[in-house]
Amino acid sequence: MAKNSSLVSIDHFKMSFGKSTVIDDLSFTVKRGETFGFLGSNGSGKTTTIRALLGIYQPSGGTLTINGSPYRVDGSIKLGYLPEERGLYKKEKVLDTMVYFGMLKGLQAHDAHDWSLDFLERVGLKDKARERLDKLSGGQQQKVQLGITIMNNPDLLILDEPTKGFDPVNRRLLMDIIEEHQQKGATVIFVTHQMEEVERLCDRVVLLKDGKARLYGTIEEVKEQFGGTELEIVSEQIVPENPKLYTVRRHEGSLTILEPKTDAFAIQRSLVSSGVEYSRFELKRPSLDDIFVQIYGDQNEEEAHHA
Amino acid sequence: MHNLGTVVKFEVIRTLKKKSFWIAALAIPLVAALVGVIIYFSSKTTGDMGRQLNNERYSLGITDDSKLLSPDILRSVSAQAVASPADGQEAVRLGKLDAYFHYPADIKKQPVEVYGKEVGLFKNGRYEGLAQQLLTQSVILQTSPNIQAIIQDSVDYKSVTYKDGQEDKGFLKLIAPGIFLVLFYFMLVTFGGQMLTSIIEEKENRVIEMILTTIKPTTLLVGKLFSLIILALVQMIIILLPIIAGYFALRNQLSLPQFDLSSIPLDPLAITLGAVIFIVSFLMYTGLLMTIGAAMPTAKEANGFFGAAMAFTFGPLYAAPLFVSSPDSLLVQILSYFPLTSPIPLLLRNAVGNLTLPEALIAIALLVLTTAIAIRIGVRIFKYGALEYSRRLSAKEIFGKR
Repeated sequence: MAKNSSLVSIDHFKMSFGKSTVIDDLSFTVKRGETFGFLGSNGSGKTTTIRALLGIYQPSGGTLTINGSPYRVDGSIKLGYLPEERGLYKKEKVLDTMVYFGMLKGLQAHDAHDWSLDFLERVGLKDKARERLDKLSGGQQQKVQLGITIMNNPDLLILDEPTKGFDPVNRRLLMDIIEEHQQKGATVIFVTHQMEEVERLCDRVVLLKDGKARLYGTIEEVKEQFGGTELEIVSEQIVPENPKLYTVRRHEGSLTILEPKTDAFAIQRSLVSSGVEYSRFELKRPSLDDIFVQIYGDQNEEEAHHA
Repeated sequence: MHNLGTVVKFEVIRTLKKKSFWIAALAIPLVAALVGVIIYFSSKTTGDMGRQLNNERYSLGITDDSKLLSPDILRSVSAQAVASPADGQEAVRLGKLDAYFHYPADIKKQPVEVYGKEVGLFKNGRYEGLAQQLLTQSVILQTSPNIQAIIQDSVDYKSVTYKDGQEDKGFLKLIAPGIFLVLFYFMLVTFGGQMLTSIIEEKENRVIEMILTTIKPTTLLVGKLFSLIILALVQMIIILLPIIAGYFALRNQLSLPQFDLSSIPLDPLAITLGAVIFIVSFLMYTGLLMTIGAAMPTAKEANGFFGAAMAFTFGPLYAAPLFVSSPDSLLVQILSYFPLTSPIPLLLRNAVGNLTLPEALIAIALLVLTTAIAIRIGVRIFKYGALEYSRRLSAKEIFGKR
């Protein structure tokens, strides 16, 4: 399969619960081998979309396919899914549970057993292998669940809020594990609202708002679409106004922030010809976090206004 | 049904590891053993006490105006003749005699007077017992052996009845097909709750999403169903083996009735029908209880529906005499064909021999159909209602087009 072909395709997906429409005409694709960020605030419909993609919910409209057809548990794609709603058989032992899920995912019992012990050792839980799951802390249980998610070496790894409940050390461990699967060629869908991780890991993203894709593309494209580029200039002189080329947003001492209306070179030439000497001239794009805050901040303001 | 074996194995093993399973399984034979031990010691103690009383010697005075008592028997208990009841009563009161009996001339109209030294609430009865024994033994000695057998109620009766020119085996013929009725009752009582909680557990553990994206819901439900059947059989063996072994080892010591297994008639058709009705009924209830479990968010809410299901099942027991005496009555027919109530009427009627083959086949077909519908609905509810952790599904949501 070509690396750039779509593995996941969501086409005009609509989802309603009773009279409430949660997702309205959502379309995007996830390419084979890419790490895709599925972003949105709490309740924006991310988990609903994933559940519909995996056949847990029946969509109200549209089609959701993996490898060209609706997901089937006995299909050809090896899936690793870490749901947002965490849970395992709490009264069972860690190793027994991992072996059981490993076997359900097609591993031989002894392979699942050996793999589980190796994984538990890696995440510092080997001594807990024969403990009951309810004797483990929430974070430890989450690590076990992560192990179960990846133990079949999945082609498609869907992680719904994977860092939720993890401390920084375990978050680092999780990122390493995701990177390993990226390197193995797995397609990763990363459902989150942790923008730093998305910027670090994801090739492309879609950002949901009001049940629709608000931003969609590579991170650069998204930043481009958002149009929030800023130009930072550090100069002891005053940067003159030039409404044709830029708008001066603010001055903070020697720092001047401009909103460019043309390309940076034209602005640079204009400043030089105006005799402005500067020690820094840097085109800055907003972070995903800035974009997220701005998009959902607007929504919160609107909601507060309507209230 | 890929992974069915894995699900069955996991469910069986994890249940076998639970203490509650073994407590439930062992409680019945333990209680049976405890009752046996109590009966044994009670019977032994009573026997010992009787022998002790018989061997106990005490001074006894007798006035026999009835002329029924045998001098030989009176000698055997060293009884001394007393002239009048007043003397005997006075001798006991003053402690000169331990006991005194006065047998009046007309024992039909007058009571036998018994006086004795107080020896404790329970032991005081020994005087009356001895007075009665002396009289009975003396009278028996004066009769023929046949009359003695009648008096002692030791005459044996042998009854033979015929049906369609063949010797009828009576109640013995109920035993083999009736076992399935007992099994059904037992399995539902001991395993009904487990069927229900088996599914709710998936919800309460929030493990549904992991499961539904790994195996088909049908595989999970059928796997659980099979595992419950296996566990029910294991539990039955655990319960019955010690009871059967205990019966054969201790039946003489406990004076238990003797069963000659070879005398039990085996009617292949009745046994086959009983087995089929039992299996299909058990499957239907398992499917039904699983469906309830899938639809309810918590075990607490499911229990109300569980109670209703059990009422349908065991309610017909109140009409049991009707199933035997009036199999053609409208009520019996309705209860026999309505799937939720039919298992007990069908099994009982099959045991007593008034269930015809066409009736059985129609009822079995209805049970199979109900089982298939229950499992299908259960799978649908499980699939679409699995993530409803806090509310129960409405009928519209269950049956609505998806």
